[in-house]
Order: sequence, then structure tokens, then C-alpha cells
Amino acid sequence: MSTDLKPTTPVEQGPPPPARPLGRGTVRAPLWATVTKWVLIALAVLLGAYLVQRVISAGYGIGVVVVAVVVMAVVAVYSTRRAVPMKYLLPGLVLLLALQVWPIVYTVATAFTNYGDGHAVSKEEATRSIIANSVQEVPGTPRYRMSVAVPAGSSPDTGDLALLLTDPQGKSYVGTSKGLKDLPSDGVSKTVTGKITAAKGWTILTARQVNARKDLANLAVPTSDGGGIKPVGLSEAFVGKTTIVYDAAKDTLTNTTTGKVYVPRNAFWVPQDGQGDAFPTGWKENVGLKNFSTLLTNETIRAGFLSIFVWNVVFAVVSVGSTFLLGMLLALLFDDNRIKGRKVYRSILILPYAIPGFVTALLWRSMFNQDFGLINNLTGLDVDWLGNPWAAKAAILLTNLWLGFPYMFLVCTGALQSIPGDVREAAKIDGASPFRTLRSIIMPLLLVAVGPLLIASFAFNFNNFGLIYLLTKGGPYESADTSIGSSDLLITYAFRLAFSGVTPNYGLASTVSIFIFVIVALMSYAGFRRTKNLEEVN
Amino acid sequence: MHKRAYATVVAASGAVALLVSGCGGGGSSTGGSTGAAAPATTSSTTTTAAASPTTTGAPKRDANADLVIWTDADRAQAVTKYADAFGQENGVTVAVQISTDVRQQFKDATKVGQGPDVIVGAHDWLGELVQNATVAPINLSPDVTAKLAPNAVAATKFNGQTYGVPYAVENIALMRNTALAPDAPTTMDQLVAEGTKIKDASGGKVTNVLIQQVGKTGNAYYSYPYLAAYGGGIFATKANGDYDSTKLLVDSAGSLKGAAELAKLGKSKVLSTNVGDDNAEALFDAGKAPFFITGPWAQTNAKKAGIKYAVSNLPSLAGGGPMEPFLGVQMFYVSAKAKNPTIAQEFVTNYVTREDVQMALFEATGRPPALTTAYEKAAAEDPMVKAFYEAGKNGKPMPNIPAMNSVWGPLGQAAADVISGADPTSRFTAAQKEIAANIAKG
Repeated sequence: MSTDLKPTTPVEQGPPPPARPLGRGTVRAPLWATVTKWVLIALAVLLGAYLVQRVISAGYGIGVVVVAVVVMAVVAVYSTRRAVPMKYLLPGLVLLLALQVWPIVYTVATAFTNYGDGHAVSKEEATRSIIANSVQEVPGTPRYRMSVAVPAGSSPDTGDLALLLTDPQGKSYVGTSKGLKDLPSDGVSKTVTGKITAAKGWTILTARQVNARKDLANLAVPTSDGGGIKPVGLSEAFVGKTTIVYDAAKDTLTNTTTGKVYVPRNAFWVPQDGQGDAFPTGWKENVGLKNFSTLLTNETIRAGFLSIFVWNVVFAVVSVGSTFLLGMLLALLFDDNRIKGRKVYRSILILPYAIPGFVTALLWRSMFNQDFGLINNLTGLDVDWLGNPWAAKAAILLTNLWLGFPYMFLVCTGALQSIPGDVREAAKIDGASPFRTLRSIIMPLLLVAVGPLLIASFAFNFNNFGLIYLLTKGGPYESADTSIGSSDLLITYAFRLAFSGVTPNYGLASTVSIFIFVIVALMSYAGFRRTKNLEEVN
Repeated sequence: MHKRAYATVVAASGAVALLVSGCGGGGSSTGGSTGAAAPATTSSTTTTAAASPTTTGAPKRDANADLVIWTDADRAQAVTKYADAFGQENGVTVAVQISTDVRQQFKDATKVGQGPDVIVGAHDWLGELVQNATVAPINLSPDVTAKLAPNAVAATKFNGQTYGVPYAVENIALMRNTALAPDAPTTMDQLVAEGTKIKDASGGKVTNVLIQQVGKTGNAYYSYPYLAAYGGGIFATKANGDYDSTKLLVDSAGSLKGAAELAKLGKSKVLSTNVGDDNAEALFDAGKAPFFITGPWAQTNAKKAGIKYAVSNLPSLAGGGPMEPFLGVQMFYVSAKAKNPTIAQEFVTNYVTREDVQMALFEATGRPPALTTAYEKAAAEDPMVKAFYEAGKNGKPMPNIPAMNSVWGPLGQAAADVISGADPTSRFTAAQKEIAANIAKG
């Protein structure tokens, strides 16, 4: 629904609120500015009205309220001269709510449900689907050629529906919700297959008209054996029988052929006597804290979660550390004026950064192949890079070093160039050795500049989904447990829970992502506190 | 992730929102393609339909059309042609839109009421689609059903109800490079002996005796024929022909014999976890191996690479019968939330079963048609169609029950581990336990 809110952004480009020196009397805004302002406000209102229509047709009642509130806020803030700070803040606030707060709220809400494969729809819908799926053709009954018609003179949109049927023997009938009657043959014309194209007293509907009649789905011409003649598409009808009925009073399903009764349990319809299969279609329901308790108490998940978490932290720390060290060393090296052609070297060093990471990751994956890969071929090793848990981790760190150092090289180069020359000169005059200058002068200044970037890089690598997914898919898997891979990050683990693997479970995956969110938030907070200390030292 | 941005925001934004920061575009087209999608993922995407240009995201449902069909790029052109003819005949407009990941995008879009009326896809999605109440039953008349291949019809059923109209059947077979191996081996022992001779005589040009996708995480689709050769398999069948998710065969005597054969081939380096979906075709197409176990989808690239090839039945295993592949059936589904159910039903029941439509789809994708008369025409046109069909004659349809999702990972990994040296009996017993636990968890 957040997409519905986005279009309010044009407001952002609206006229700046007229700057108004307070207490000096009013300065009239030029006419064109006033006109533009009101045109833009009117546009925002129109856009809101349009969105409300769309939202209603999509069936989201709550969306109407949201759009209305936003539009009213726009009018209130921009039409008056008051609330000057809000004039600047509103667009940002709306976007913040739509793009940041709403997904988080949605994630948290999902974490309390069993939403996932087999639990994707409401109970009513699941029940309706089970009943619809239980329709079986009555054996030994004929197939009819069919046309859909309404009595002549009544409207194709509202007239009582009737099926004009021809059985395999060529005999024609009229079927309505009351039953089957013979169709008098006068004025009837048919195609070669028997489909009736005209009949006296009836208006035959076109394909589009038939399609528009949503009530056709509920039409079944009752037959003597308890079944009903139902249409298949536009030109055929069969005798079908619904075998499952719903008892609203007892909240049970009953199979009318076998007499088996089904009761709702754990968001599925299961046989009351415990014998046989449940229906495959389940429904979405609230499960309270079940997902959280599963994560914390299930032995496999908990052990796996812990090992994944440890590796995740190691991966992020080593990735940031290694890329930063290499990038910084290279930056220091090429910071030296005596090196000729520095621009060329620098451009070449940035190349890995310019090639899409996905291409690089896939390339490295094939280079790590034990039999056919470049790395084993060149070095004469026979390491099973992607099949051995430790080697796979090393392979991932190597690839990430390759992918990540150009970025660190770039930011360090920039930071080094911004360190004033007089500081270095002062150190030189004081007799500091180059190493001492580096350690006591340049490094602290460099860290102040790149510290926040290191934290950002940590947070990014902590959730570096693409790399893991393309390189190892989280594998290799230790024997007899394919839910937890030895190179999995929490994010790839959550992804597998949500979208692939055994049964996609959005509820559980949302819970995992809440954990990830908390972990990253705590770590980033600690990190920012540290860089703040650095700044104070400075 | 941005690929599914549209549907994601509304449907799965919960789970995805926090993932987005980390994905940066990596998690595309994964869906449930764990192992079953081996056929689908290898097909190339070169053709573009006139209907709508390919974008990376899910298509946006054409609001003005009276019938909206989603398919992958390969088949779009053929489907468009006949969808247009259908539209003209019935006075309606039809939009054929290309979806890059039909299975997932259909599920996501249907949840928010933006899905298509008809999709084209594989039969093993069925259980999952029914589970989520996203597909509607289809009532094909017995006359029409009789004209379709019986195993294709069987694959469209779930819980005794029919949910799709099949148009093609596909399975794996033994492909050989006729320049290297002129004769087709009938047993695995023959294949290994002959292949080894070819490899040793080539002076390093031929690196592998047999190419079969395994990969580090294994591949249950390609491992299954070994189990089936000894009467093993994955699920036992119920009386009505459905697979029974409570009766697992992964640690049955037959399956264990098949696992032992995999171990033997792994030990002699005929099979290797270093051959996977990323390099299998490339190795065969570079002439580095005489034999290749693969499906009809590999023909396009082999032809492009100028490889002269022939196709024969999978070999039989010592002490067992011939290897039997899984059958994959391609079919048209009607959405349970179709905005135009009547027109959609009309299209799939009366149009997809036409011979010319099935022929056009065959020509677009190279998969043998499900309609018997169309198959006969296709087989007369292309001997490879007949060869692939013959290789799959005794095969069983890939299970379409949702429990199959619990099998791909553990069984694939067990096969990979066995190929790289694990003890077959204990490894497959452990896999059976894991699968049973996963199914019980639901």
C-alpha cells in the first residue's frame, strides 16, 4: 500500500514557502508563486481523489483513511502561512512512514502469524476453495454443447441467466436455476457441433457479456440425481456434483460421499476421527508468540541460529577489516607523489568495483570449481573450495575482499587527500619518522573520516545476501541437515525460510528478520558510539 | 529483490522489507526452484513476444484485456499467436504477458488480486498452488482427455481433481556426442567402459566420461532414476494413483541399491559434485565428454555449439532395471481468482487441446506435445522427439504434492554426499529421517 502514498511526492517540488521576516509586516508573494502553489495543492487533492478510487477498487478500506489523512495534511500545511517547519518536513515524513515505518510494522505484524505456503488465505476463502475443488463430474452423464442466454427483451447484464443446451443426440434444452426443460425447435439454429446460435424467445450473450456475468459461477441447473449442470467456458456444460458441504453451525466440513467429517485444527481442515489426510488448503491465522518461541526453543533452529550468527559476525568483521586494510594500504601507497601514472593505477584498482558484483561472484564461483576452476589449476592445489565448510568460508572472504577493497581504496584516497598538508609538515618539522606520522597523525584523522563508512560497510556485509547466494547458496550443508548451511548468513537463512526450501514460511522469516534488525541496530549503535569518542579525541 | 518489488510491497513486504537492504538485487527467480526447476532454469530466454516487452519485474496485469495469460519468454510468441486468434474468434481482447518467474510472481500477484487469468507452467507446482487456493479445477470432457497422453493427464490431477490442460511432456534421456561415441550403450557398465576408453584415448581433450548435474548441494531430479532402476523412489503411491506423503521410499532397499550405484560412480569419478548446473552444458558442448544425461532443453545449445548428437534411453544398472526418469508435464492453469474465468476456461479447454496449438508450442520449445496426434506429427518431423519420448515411456510423473518441497534439498544433498564418498546406507537413512521430519513439520 505504500505505493499509494508515493505520488504525494510532487509536493516536494512545490514552491518553497515564502521566506517571511517576522515582525516586519507582510511582504506580498508574487502572483505567479501564489497561483503555482494553489495549482500544486489542487493537483495533490486530485491525485488523492484518484488514489482513493484505486484503493477502494482494490478493496483496502484502511487505505482510504491513510490517503485522506495525507491529503488533509498537505492542504493544512501548505495552504496557510502557519507551520513553516512542517512545510519542509512533510514530504520527508510521508516518505519515512511509507517506506520505512510501514514495512517494519508489517514485518512485525507478520511475525505473529503463520503466514506462508498453505496458509496464504483467510479461512472463508480456504473453505470456499475446498468446496469448489470438490466438484466432480457425475459418471455416465452427457456433455452438453452450451450457449448462455437471457429471455428476449431483458438486459444482458441483469436478465435471468439460462443455459441453452444440446445433448450428444442433438436434442435441445433450456436450463435455468429451476431445472431442465425442452427447448421448442422452432427458430433454433445451431452450428455443426450443436452449439445453439439463435433461439426464439432468447437473447444469446456474446463472450464478453457472458464473462461479465459473475453470477454465472453460481448457476447450476439441478438434475434429478442431486447434481447440477454447470458451464465449462463458453460452449460446453457438464453434470457435476459438489462432494463437500460446510456446516456453519458446527463449523465442520462433511464429505457427502464418504460421510467423513472434518474439523478445523492448526489452521487446516483435518478429519475428525484422525484417519486420512487433511485438506491441503489451510488458512492464515494469528499464532501469538509461536514463531518467537520456535526460534528460541527448537533445538535445530537454535543451534543453527547460533552457529550462523557467529559466522555472520566473523564474516562481516573480517570482510570489513580485510577490505579496509588492503584498500588503505593501496591508498597510502598511491598517495605518494613520487609514483608516476598514479591516475592509471587508481583507475585500474577501481575496476573490480565497476564490474557488477553478480558477474564477479559468478565468475569467482567457476574459478573456485575443484576440477575445472582456474584457482586449483594455477596453484596445483586440489581444494574442494565450495564443498568443504572451511574452504567455502575462505572462498567467500577472498571473493568479498576482491569485491570490497576498491571501495575502501576510494574512500581512503579521498580522506587522505583531505588531510591538510600543514599537519604532515608540522610532524616532519617536529622530527617524527614517516611511520610515526602515519600512526599518530594520519591514521586518527583517516579513521574519523572513514569510521562511519566502516560501520555502514559492516551493516551492509552483515546482510550481504547477493554474494553468499551467488557463490555458495549458503552451502555446503553438513550431512542430514539441509536447513542450515555452513556459509549461511542470517539473511540467506531467513530468505530460505521465506521463499524456498521446505515450506515457505513468511511468519518465521519475519521473526528472523526482526532478530537481524535488532542485532544490526545494537551493533551499529555501539559502533557509532565509538566513532563519536574518536571525534572527541580529535 | 527489486525484481519483485511491486508484488513484494503489498504481499510479502513483511518478510522482505528487512531483507531488501541485504539483497540488492540478488534474490531473483528463486521461488521454489530448488531442484525441480532443473528443466526450467536451463532453457534460454531469447525470444521476445510482441505483446509486451520483457522487464525484470513481474508483469503488471493488463487491465483492459478480457483474458490475461502469463508465460515465460520462450513460449510467449506461440501462445500470443493463438491467443490472438482465439480473441478474434470470440470478440474479446487477449493479453499475453511475459513473466520472468511465473510460479512465484503468479502466487504473489494473485494474493493481491492482480494476477492473470491463465498461466503456463510445470505440473509439479500444482500441490503448492492448490494449497494456496490459487488455481481452479478444470473439467475436460472425457473425449478430449482420451486424446491426451495418459501420463500427462495423470500429472494434472491432485487429490482426485483435474487442474490443468497439458501441452507437453518432458524427461531426461542419454545424449551422446556421436563424434566421440557412435553407439548407444545400453547398460551403465558399458557406458563407463566405453567412456573411459574414449577419455583415455583422447589425450586430455575429453575430461569426463559422463556429464550429469550434481553440484555441491546435489540434484534430486537427476538422482531419482538411479533409485527407480532398483524399484526404489521417493513416495509410494496410494490406491488412486496419487503419491502418498506418509510412505517414503528414500531408505527402501531399492533406493539404497541406487545410492550404492551413485557411490560407485562417484568413486570412479564418473559423477562428480564439481559438475553442476553452472557448467554441465558447457562441458558437453565443448566436446569434453561423450555422454550427457539431460533433457530436450539442452538441444538448443548443443546445436549452437555444433555438436553432433543422438539421444537414447537411459542405461540400465547392473543388478537392476533400466533407469527411469521423472516426467515433467507442462500445462495451462486457470487462476482461482481469475477476473475472467469463463473466457479463461474456454481458452484452455477448447484451444490448448487443438493440434495446431500444440504443434506451435512444440516448435517454440522443442518439448514433445501431450496431444497424441500432435506428438505423432512432431515425432515424424524430428527423430529426437521420439527418442526423448521413448526414454520417458516408463517414467512416472514428478510428484506434484506439496510434500515434494521437503524432498529436493535433503535427497539432493544425500546424493551429492554419497557421490563425494559418504556411506550410501547411513546417508540415505539420515535423509529419509530429515525428509520425514520436514513433512511432519508441514
